[in-house]
Amino acid sequence: MTGQESLELIARMIHKAKRDYFDSGLSALLWGSVISFCSLVSFINQLTVRIDAINAVWVLTFIAVVPQILIAIREKRARKYKTYDEDHMGGIWISFAIAVFLLNFIFWRYEYKGEAAVYLMLYGVPTFATGYSRRFRPMLIGGIACWAFAGLSLFCGYPYTLLCITAAALIAWFIPGLILRSRYLKAKKTHV
Amino acid sequence: MFKDLNPILHSQLRLAVISILIAVKEAEFTYLREKTDATAGNLSVQINKLKEAGYIDVTKTFKDNYPQTICKITPEGILAFEEYVRDLQSYLNIKK
Repeated sequence: MTGQESLELIARMIHKAKRDYFDSGLSALLWGSVISFCSLVSFINQLTVRIDAINAVWVLTFIAVVPQILIAIREKRARKYKTYDEDHMGGIWISFAIAVFLLNFIFWRYEYKGEAAVYLMLYGVPTFATGYSRRFRPMLIGGIACWAFAGLSLFCGYPYTLLCITAAALIAWFIPGLILRSRYLKAKKTHV
Repeated sequence: MFKDLNPILHSQLRLAVISILIAVKEAEFTYLREKTDATAGNLSVQINKLKEAGYIDVTKTFKDNYPQTICKITPEGILAFEEYVRDLQSYLNIKK
C-alpha cells in the first residue's frame, strides 16, 4: 500500500462512516405534525365555535411522548454505531422537553400574555443547535424561524399567536422531518 | 520505503477500521464488517491486533440475546492515527 493509497483509504472510510449519519426524521415529523395540528385546531376553535373542551387537543402533546419513546428505542436498537454528538444532542432535547413541561405548569399557575413568544423562543434553541451541530440547514432556518415568530407573536393578539406556533412547528420540524425522512429512505434503498 | 510508518496501522484492513472509528464514537463489529467488506475471521484477527496495541477498546455484550462486539478507539489510538497521517503527509511532501 503506497502513501497515496493509504490517504485515499482513510478518506474513503471516513466518508463512508459520515455518509451513514442519517436521522430517520420520524421524531421531527411527529412533533412537527402534533404541535402544528394542536395549534391550528385551537386557532380555528377560537375563531369560530369557542368551545373550551376543544382546547383539550393539547393533551396530544403529552400522548405523543409515548410514540417518541418507542421511536427512540427502535432507532437506538437499529443503529450499529454511535456518533460523537449523539449524547450532546440527546441532552439538549431532553432538557428542552423538561423546560417545556415546566413552562406548562408555570403558565397554568401564573397568567402571562406573551406565553407563545416564550414557547417559540424555547422551540428555537434545540432546533437551531441541532441544525448548527449537524450542519443541517433546514433546521438552522427552522430555529431562526422560531425566534422570528416569537418576535412576531408579541405584535399579534391571541388567537393569531397560535398561527405563529403552527407556522414555526411546520418550518422548524415538519419540513426538516420530511427532508430527513426522504434522505433516510433513499440511503436505506442504496444500502440494500 | 515506509520504515517510519507505524506498522500496526500500515495495513489496509486495520487502517480502514481505525479510520471508521475516528469518524464515529463507537461501532459494532457487524458495522465494521459491512463498511470494510472484510470476512468476519480476518476482521476479528485485525481487531485483536489493534486491541493488543492499545489502539482500540473492545467490549463484548449482548443485544436482544445475541452476542455483540463494540469497538471504540482509545486516546492512544487517536494519537497513533494522527501521527500516522502526519508521517504520510510528510512522506508525500518529501516525495513531491
